[in-house]
Amino acid sequence: MLTVQNLTKTFSNGKGIFDVSFSVKEGEVFGFLGPNGAGKSTTIRHIMGFMKPDKGYVKVNGLDTWKEQGKFQSYVGYLPGEISFFDGMTGKTFLDFMADMQGMKDLSKRARLIDRLQFDVHTPIRKMSKGMKQKVGIVATFMHDPNVIILDEPTSGLDPLMQKVFIEIVLEEKARGKTFLMSSHNFPEIERTCDRAAIIKDGVIITVKDVHELQSMQRKLFEVTFENQAEAKTFLDSGLLIESHEGDRVRVSVQGNYDKFVEETAKYKIRNIDIFTQNLEDIFMNYYERKETMK
Amino acid sequence: MNATLYKQMMKVNMKSFMNYAFGSAFYILLMFWLYPSLAKNTKAIDELVQTMPEGVGKAFGLNGFGSAEAFISGEYYGLILVLILSIVCVQVSTQLMAKLVDQGSMAYLLSSPTTRGKVAFTQASVLTTGLFLIMAVTTIAGFAGNAWFLGDGYVFDTSKFIQMNVAAFLLFFAVGGVSFLVSSLSNDEKKALSISGLITFGFFSLDLVGKFSEKIDWVRNISIFSLYKPGEIINGNADLAVPFLILAVIGLVSISLAIVLFRKRDLLL
Repeated sequence: MLTVQNLTKTFSNGKGIFDVSFSVKEGEVFGFLGPNGAGKSTTIRHIMGFMKPDKGYVKVNGLDTWKEQGKFQSYVGYLPGEISFFDGMTGKTFLDFMADMQGMKDLSKRARLIDRLQFDVHTPIRKMSKGMKQKVGIVATFMHDPNVIILDEPTSGLDPLMQKVFIEIVLEEKARGKTFLMSSHNFPEIERTCDRAAIIKDGVIITVKDVHELQSMQRKLFEVTFENQAEAKTFLDSGLLIESHEGDRVRVSVQGNYDKFVEETAKYKIRNIDIFTQNLEDIFMNYYERKETMK
Repeated sequence: MNATLYKQMMKVNMKSFMNYAFGSAFYILLMFWLYPSLAKNTKAIDELVQTMPEGVGKAFGLNGFGSAEAFISGEYYGLILVLILSIVCVQVSTQLMAKLVDQGSMAYLLSSPTTRGKVAFTQASVLTTGLFLIMAVTTIAGFAGNAWFLGDGYVFDTSKFIQMNVAAFLLFFAVGGVSFLVSSLSNDEKKALSISGLITFGFFSLDLVGKFSEKIDWVRNISIFSLYKPGEIINGNADLAVPFLILAVIGLVSISLAIVLFRKRDLLL
């Protein structure tokens, strides 16, 4: 459905993307991950035909996105990373304009989306908060019922409730056979929606992995508060990976071995457990570093 | 051409087009209203102009007060109208392309099933329509002013007045085309504004400076503003065909170039 083949673009400062290839199957949600400046946006710009590749191509539904402008867009819904609309429009006039540009006749899907995301379409866009603008953008992305949906940081600015609604929408569309490419920093979002994810760094795809594999790579930090300092001390010898120890509190790093962690902590009286999820960047950084050392 | 985009962009820009058009119409009506009272003292004023250094009168297009259109050509078409339309060209052309790329809203236009060529062509049409509207309203106001304030008592050469308006439209079609080209190649709104502003007002100043003195007359040849000669049109000693053709060609070539280059460009959206 979406094929990126040997995509290469070198900028004058030597940065860019190099030989990026991956393909997303119909009905698949594909995550696109990597630190800032790694080449995510550049790749998405090529997918949308905003840039001309030095080498390689992007095809959506068999149509080259640089050479076949004007055709491939009707299959694509796009949510830009930084949304900006036109001056002097309300949400309604913007969506009407976009519906016209898409040549849409059936507005029922749009109405349902607006209803679900709960926002007032008659607010002038310049008075909208970031989250509200994001909602307008999401409606514009999905309303013409595209087959391929490109999302650049889709939930930034949304509150947790709306993030949940958004994930639901993605899963429903996925169930209807729609194809997604989604760049994100938000691990729960990727975890819940994606089948596979590519990791890009310095313009090169490091790996394409199954999301379950990524999950097992994720480390979680548990901060356990014991009844007293002595118990905390004996816990240190449990064989778990201890990150730090201070008074009656111990930080344990757990990666996959939840069983053992529960088993060990159950031996003590615990006053409190805090959980820190390692963010995606850290996971990748870990991943890269391990790779480097393996070499 | 994308009809939806054209409609939307006209809607967005209509207010400023109309502001300039009515401002221009108001000014020209004011001139017509003033003319009868000045015409009585034509001689005295002509003498006053004579006493000024020759370059000054020439630079500002002071063209005698013998007829209404000569008066208007000097007092309005020579300077004020040129300034107003220069501002319109630079501002609107920047808004139509560079601003959309800079802000990122161009991403929305290009993610709908249209081509860059169509988008650029549509935006150029909006600019041209705007210039045409302003000139049309100004011309109509001129006729209204003539009928209203002058009647049959004063000389007013309709065909020359129209020629002068066509000349102004073509000049700004060319200026607008060049600004549009700059705008289509820019990623940065402010940069586009300053570059096309520099080009437009640079040309304008070269023309003005060249008119001040015979010695540096040659600098006018660099400026496209020298192809616009309202005074000469009114005095009947201007060759119209060649300058009109050159201005039209400059406008068309710049816009075509803008479309071609915009299609091939990398956009940081």
